Amino acid sequence: MKLPKARELVEAIKALIVGPYTSKFPYKPHVPYKSFRGQPKYDPDKCVGCLACEQVCPAEAIGHEDITDGGEAKRVMYHYTDTCIFCGTCELACIADNEGIKLSNDWELAFFDRKTESFETIDKELQLCEICGEVIACKDHLRWISERIGELSFSSPTLYYSKLKELGVIDENIVSALRDSGRSDRFKILCARCRRETTLT
Amino acid sequence: MAKSVIPIGPWHPLQEEPEFFTLTVDGETVVDMDVSIGYNHRGIEKLSEMKSFDQATFVIERICGICSTSHPFAYTRAVEDVIPVEVPDRAKYIRTIIAETERIHSHLLWLGLAGHFLGYNTIYHWVWKLREEILDVCEILTGNRNNYAIFKPGGVRRDFNMDDIPLVLRKIDGIIPTVDRLKKAILDDPVLHARLKGIGILTKEEVIDYSALGPTARASGVAKDVRKDAPYGAYDRVDWDMIVTENGDVFDKVVVRVLETYESIKIVKTCIAELPGGEIDLNIKDIPPGEGIGAHEAPRGETFHYIRSDGTNRPARHKVRAPTFMNLPTYKATVIGETISYATIILAAIDPCYCCTERMAVRDVEGKRLFGGPDLVKLSQEKTARMKREMGMP
Repeated sequence: MKLPKARELVEAIKALIVGPYTSKFPYKPHVPYKSFRGQPKYDPDKCVGCLACEQVCPAEAIGHEDITDGGEAKRVMYHYTDTCIFCGTCELACIADNEGIKLSNDWELAFFDRKTESFETIDKELQLCEICGEVIACKDHLRWISERIGELSFSSPTLYYSKLKELGVIDENIVSALRDSGRSDRFKILCARCRRETTLT
Repeated sequence: MAKSVIPIGPWHPLQEEPEFFTLTVDGETVVDMDVSIGYNHRGIEKLSEMKSFDQATFVIERICGICSTSHPFAYTRAVEDVIPVEVPDRAKYIRTIIAETERIHSHLLWLGLAGHFLGYNTIYHWVWKLREEILDVCEILTGNRNNYAIFKPGGVRRDFNMDDIPLVLRKIDGIIPTVDRLKKAILDDPVLHARLKGIGILTKEEVIDYSALGPTARASGVAKDVRKDAPYGAYDRVDWDMIVTENGDVFDKVVVRVLETYESIKIVKTCIAELPGGEIDLNIKDIPPGEGIGAHEAPRGETFHYIRSDGTNRPARHKVRAPTFMNLPTYKATVIGETISYATIILAAIDPCYCCTERMAVRDVEGKRLFGGPDLVKLSQEKTARMKREMGMP
């Protein structure tokens, strides 16, 4: 019989003590490294609904839907788990200090039903034009802009009226109910097209 | 005497990629061979022309499952050549570190597969276990084992977390003893000597004739390496050697790859030690109209990308040439004259990657190839003439 070499013996004893190199995965969870790029997750408080992430996403894994009927105006942001490539471009492009959407460490993303389980959503409140009902932007986005540009926001009625409304210091009854796209409509929250029309009249 | 034909493929049982070899054998000796590829055409070039310059990086990254740095590296260099700009120093070092860790894991992958092809599965298990450590390094540095998503025209997308660097260095130091042992086990093994020495010899003249690249060329005594010939990244700032051997057989290709692993470890360690501070990205906004080329020494040889921009935010033309495209024809020189049992390892010796190579496939309904070599030359000349006419050149 051929005797084993010393190196092989050491290796065999080591294998007995340390155990196999592979992990018992389904029974013991796998913890990835801190820097692992897992599923991007929205932070509903930080996200302003600006859609920068949707624009830069190379895999078109981010989408949105604006719901304006039924008395509510909200933007539903979708993140599709099945098409996401976890590249992190959304996080890098996020205007809310890269915190609106952030890559997490989650990697166990298997699901059964592609129609109902393949995406994650958050809702953002929308600001509509007071004349035509067109979507202007998310309320958080308007607030984010006025915070960024400071006193310059007073040059835009849309921005400062949004802000005043939020503070609760605006009386809805004061605003004229006339819908003539005239001078009385200038002090309203307006979309770009209605703003131009009111200015030209 | 009657000759028989042995078909291997279209799904290669070992290389696990769609390619089709037709070996014409006389007894046991291969007397002629043919390769058919084109089973895996994905339209990558067209896809990248539909994305913006920034987004295309991710498509390019997925050309190859193993060299997910090589293609973006060459692509970003091509885009930077259009402008042209020089990326910041820190970005250069980060790119070099990622490229070299990838080279380590790619060479180890091939080494394991070579063992597997020879029926020597001990090597396969050992090497692939070792490769896990390097993939962990990639995960710590970039966030994923593969598809690093770190390249971007003008720099890199995200910086290293400097707290992780000690762990990375510990892991890289930890693999050196194992690589040492593997080197001894592989290079001194009488079985491997018997199986690999003097097999599939590619002479220096044949390398020059076929324009073979990378380790395939370096194993035959042709010292060519983009990293030395036209330095980019941080390759001209760190000290490393090009590994060149003379025999050109399969064993020398193993030697080149094993020794290159050491050089890559050296480059990674030096780059991490000398990592400069500062910006990592130039934030390029506009790409002017123009043309640019970029090359990178992938683990398999030189990867080459060509970009033509028309001033919009997406490439007007993107051309990719993977190293296997150049190395594939050398089969004619290496396989013919050997026995079938050796053909398996010789066909794997260039470290082929067919998915990278698939750019165009034209076949008729019966599956026959429509264009031979002379037809392609004619088509190419016609296209050049048409492009010259369109661009108003004489």
